[in-house]
Amino acid sequence: MNSNNKIQQKLRHEAGALLEQNKVDLIIGFEPGSLKFTTTPLITRDKGDLDRLVINPFIVNNLAVFLPDIKGPDLKGPKLKGRVAIVAKGCDGRSIVSLIQDNKVRRDNLVILGIPCPGMIELRKVEKLTGKDRDELDDIIREGDKVVITVDGKASEFPISDVLFDNCLGCEFPTPQDYDILLGEPTAPFAERSAGQARILKGISPQERWEFWRREFRRCIRCYACRNICPSCFCQRCFVEESEPQWLMPVPRWQENLMFQAIRTIHLAGRCSDCGECERSCPVNIPLRSLTREMYDLVDELFHFKAGMAKDAPPLMTHYEQEEAKDLIR
Amino acid sequence: MNTEWEPQLVGFLCKWCSYGGADLAGTSRKKYPPNIRIIKVPCSGRVDPLFILKALQLGFDGVLISGCHPGDCHYQTGNYRARRRVAITKKFLEYMGIEPERIQASWISASEAGKFVEVVTEVTEGLREIGPNRLFDEQQQQNTTEAAA
Repeated sequence: MNSNNKIQQKLRHEAGALLEQNKVDLIIGFEPGSLKFTTTPLITRDKGDLDRLVINPFIVNNLAVFLPDIKGPDLKGPKLKGRVAIVAKGCDGRSIVSLIQDNKVRRDNLVILGIPCPGMIELRKVEKLTGKDRDELDDIIREGDKVVITVDGKASEFPISDVLFDNCLGCEFPTPQDYDILLGEPTAPFAERSAGQARILKGISPQERWEFWRREFRRCIRCYACRNICPSCFCQRCFVEESEPQWLMPVPRWQENLMFQAIRTIHLAGRCSDCGECERSCPVNIPLRSLTREMYDLVDELFHFKAGMAKDAPPLMTHYEQEEAKDLIR
Repeated sequence: MNTEWEPQLVGFLCKWCSYGGADLAGTSRKKYPPNIRIIKVPCSGRVDPLFILKALQLGFDGVLISGCHPGDCHYQTGNYRARRRVAITKKFLEYMGIEPERIQASWISASEAGKFVEVVTEVTEGLREIGPNRLFDEQQQQNTTEAAA
């Protein structure tokens, strides 16, 4: 918490200086949410708002999702305009770089306030661990690789790996790849990385896998939360909304739901930074990260490509090598 | 009437090479399985993963994507891009549980009528082996397990 406080102080200070020197027009960060142990995005032009900015182990959202909607200062339009300072964890940073690669954001209009991310705490895991609802918890404090959870005035200690999100436990690059100001010292990834629940399907037959997804996608209500929260889903018009030809019916039948998610994940090839926002936002708890993580590993295995590592590299699908994937083609 | 199931294959053939290859197979009176329905595309790079999945959803048993040999693309790089797309689509759908045999790709030039015949025959026979596409049927899994048993 102490180091978070220091980072938080530094963030408020840096953000204030950037606004004051007129280097940016907007600040995108996190403020405390309306529920306990939650945060919500804060977008502001006002220096007076800056003491609402927070850094804590609950800043889960990937703020890069806002960037494609913010136009540069030189562009006309009714949307949010201007140069932006954005708070970015490791995965968010990679999403930002990926957006730069796709020409959705201009690097010159951005100030990236990088945060070396030690991992985010998943409240569901805390609830499971303590058997209490999040409202009944007094405090959750992270101390190095331990977490201290206070319930009814009684503090108990757990290893941090028990409460972090799965994607944080498998995180390869906790420090942003590209930043202007790094708040704090770079952190190393966990020595023992695990892909967690994402590997739910390893070792079962194709029929069982299909059966699994069929069952999962029966629950999908097609709210499109996964699409709307995803920084890499920036199409102006999503293929599900096209009417000529109409690829998919808008009714939430599992066939359509499954096809929507399959194509969405294919569109994320080389863009997904495994931030896990799709899975977190899903109201019916479909293990979407299992799909995105597979895609993440697949592009690495086939094309030795990791999303959002170098802003000057061409996007995966616009590029090719003479010799690759040859065995897949007759 | 013969009610036995026949595999249905949809082929996306590039206008410059593979479609020419198919044409040549026809004009040279070569025999190939009539199970393929050909859709002419300007380039194999035109084939969107959405086409592949849509064909499977509509009940086709397999999809064949075919274009010019690497280096021969009329648009220079279209087939290289198609290769990346097909590779991730095939591998990813395999992870979801779709048999990889249902998604096939090949390079066939306009002079390779023989190769076209060979590929279509092989793919059709392969599909005959893995059976009908019941992926998107309401009751598909029960049916396939019953058929296997």
